Amino acid sequence: MPKKYETPLLDELEKGPFPSFVTEIKKAAARSDMAADELGQLEKSYRDKRGYWKHGGIVGVRGYGSGVIGRYSSLPDEFPNVANFHTVRINSISGFFYTSKFLNEMCDIWDKYGSGLTNLHGSTGDLVLLGTNTENLEPIFAEFSSRGWDLGGSGSALRTPSCCVGPARCEWANIDTLDITYSITQEWQDEMHRPAFPYKFKFKTAGCAVDCIASIARADCSIIGTWKGNIAVDQAEVANYAKKGMNIQEEIVNMCPSKCMSYDGKELKINDADCIRCMHCIAKMTKALKPTGEKGATILIGSKAPFVIGATLSWVIVPFIKMEPPYDEFKDLIRKMWEFWDEYGKNRERIGELIIRKGMREFLEFIGVEPQPQQIKEPRRDPFFFWTEADLQK
Amino acid sequence: MALPQRKTDIGPPHYKDFLPPVIQKNYGNWKYHEIINPGVMVHVSNSGDKIWSVRVASPRLLSTDTIRDMSAIAEKYCGGYIRFTTRNNVEFLVSDEKNLEPLQKELKDKKYMVGGIGNMISNIVHTQGWIHCHSAASDASGIVKVLMDEFADYFTTKTLPNKVRMAVACCVNMCGAVHCSDIAVVAIHRKVPTIDHDKVKNMCEVPSTIGACPTGAISPEPSKKSVKINADKCMYCGNCFTVCPPIEIHDPEYDGVAIVVGGKVGNLRSNPKFSKLAIPFIKNNPPRWPEVTAAVRKILDAYVADAKKHERVGEWIERIGWEKFFKVTGLPFTFQHIDDFVIARETFRTAATFKW
Amino acid sequence: MEKEEVKKKIYELVEKSTGKKKLKSSDIQKTISAEAGISRDEVKDALRDLIDEGKLIYTYFGGSFVEIPPK
Repeated sequence: MPKKYETPLLDELEKGPFPSFVTEIKKAAARSDMAADELGQLEKSYRDKRGYWKHGGIVGVRGYGSGVIGRYSSLPDEFPNVANFHTVRINSISGFFYTSKFLNEMCDIWDKYGSGLTNLHGSTGDLVLLGTNTENLEPIFAEFSSRGWDLGGSGSALRTPSCCVGPARCEWANIDTLDITYSITQEWQDEMHRPAFPYKFKFKTAGCAVDCIASIARADCSIIGTWKGNIAVDQAEVANYAKKGMNIQEEIVNMCPSKCMSYDGKELKINDADCIRCMHCIAKMTKALKPTGEKGATILIGSKAPFVIGATLSWVIVPFIKMEPPYDEFKDLIRKMWEFWDEYGKNRERIGELIIRKGMREFLEFIGVEPQPQQIKEPRRDPFFFWTEADLQK
Repeated sequence: MALPQRKTDIGPPHYKDFLPPVIQKNYGNWKYHEIINPGVMVHVSNSGDKIWSVRVASPRLLSTDTIRDMSAIAEKYCGGYIRFTTRNNVEFLVSDEKNLEPLQKELKDKKYMVGGIGNMISNIVHTQGWIHCHSAASDASGIVKVLMDEFADYFTTKTLPNKVRMAVACCVNMCGAVHCSDIAVVAIHRKVPTIDHDKVKNMCEVPSTIGACPTGAISPEPSKKSVKINADKCMYCGNCFTVCPPIEIHDPEYDGVAIVVGGKVGNLRSNPKFSKLAIPFIKNNPPRWPEVTAAVRKILDAYVADAKKHERVGEWIERIGWEKFFKVTGLPFTFQHIDDFVIARETFRTAATFKW
Repeated sequence: MEKEEVKKKIYELVEKSTGKKKLKSSDIQKTISAEAGISRDEVKDALRDLIDEGKLIYTYFGGSFVEIPPK
């Protein structure tokens, strides 16, 4: 029987309508010594208002430098069952689709070798197995990999790529987000498991500019689906939206950021040449409006959380690229970017930070992309620009 | 017992093996979707086929018991097919309409919280906090729990002018989309870290420790084979601690949370935006952080009262102006609100136009 | 160059660096390929062998490094 801890503070978090993580930990703690000590240590954190975890060091499965995150209690004498309590990242399925068969198998393995606690999913999109001892790592890897499941990324490596639900269940997807994610994950297994980058690298793929996977805020490489043709309008469906109470002038036309729409009470007109494809009208009138013509993606680079130079959003590098299997043009572009990063990047420097440090020109020239106004909000306002010898000869 | 033969570099299984037959058949051929109620939406294909998704809340941290229970429900009503959303909700994928009502009934009977679809407060994206993170300045799951309890009706029944995307990060590393959320809580430190020089000598690399500091506050201390910190430059981010654990940043008395608002990631109507500081500090008050829920309530109520239909929090604030935001919310404006990091001057008001 | 020889060079480089500077995989690849006049991929391949054999391991200290496992 696992040790039973008194948890008066955490018990307060079992009250209320939202499902309680404390209840989840208690369920696992009823049979797992590890989960029990996790609960005990967490109660102490709530009492002392501080965490008690240490990180880093030597941990992993043989041959890999990624996929296991070392975690150690700073109170090993008090909570011996979480003295080492590592995270295992399992590479999730594109679009986060699962079957009960897999989930049950996963639970069987995890109850045998781990705490019984999980995150579905971690922030990057891994299936996170939350907490096990060092000696269980190899058995866990053998059990999962023999069933066709691999570890995800961690450390200075390609992180587990993730995507929105895409064409599997969304009418707005301009690109096959699930297939792109699967393809790049398989293509770059070595980059994921054997860290050789200056720092982490994340791909996130969104089917359209609604960006349900937050790619523009959270991926070194944001792949956002878009189109080049017109928006087809079904006027009968427009009339249906109006009949059901939508104020098309107020809610659609007036909210269009490029002011490219008009509505006379009968017909909705779009000046497609001025459309910037923000998705507002399409998202609100999904039955009436549909993008047509050539589909592809905008490739943006560089978003990340605040460290070290402040948070960044990804910015446009390639305004439009076709995204069709086997995605060779895209993959070649990425390889060039990684070459640039490998050549000039410092330890713990993300690719976006490097581009800011070295300048967009060096980056674009290195990867062979022309300067285009779609890459910027506005041209520079300072007069301090460089001329190369070649520029002078032009 | 012998272990099965391990394999390396196989990657994840192919997603096609995890898609319900109706999705496999209509992959890339969806025509439109409709939200039937906050817990149910239906996607309709050009072929006329339909799939219903029933969404329930999840604390993200799940025990195997709960996963097994969800699996059993999926087997009973969904042919075993289930998915998770990018905000860690759970979606039961129903191919047969007659299973829709009994599924919802069973979910409600089992106290699952059904909802979150449409202009609601969906699940709160968050980080590990005291549960499993070395650099947490607060817990994340606890704050998520009390906020979602407070705003539960916005998940299950009550709609908003638009979606309100919330996030909680347990330190300024922000493993989660805190920097681009409508309303987000981020835990912060407020004191210069202390250095255990003997341990630094053995555990840390001086150049990478210096390089980790965003403000250049760290310099070598050769006599101790360690580093020193310029207190005037340090803004307590804790990045040095991540690279060099003997630099201790935790301080239970002074750690707490800030609240940021107005971010978004979607491109609809207006460009993606960063979240901006609304409240610089609220002390950690576990287990239920009442001051945090009250502060978020204040901001959310002001948004609900004043925003136009389809306006996100950030779009509402940009329309009324930040000076008006502080007025209508009653939040005090302080020195901490004025940026003094690398992009400060971009945020100064370079016009004579503003509201009283 | 024979793979065993590349492996020896890599191990010596890591050994020499221990306690002074932690090496990243890319540091090793750059240094050895320049010193020995061989391709990055050859170094990478040899390094992978050393890791698979457990003679070297990956560690994490705010970034991923290659080190000699503790005795």
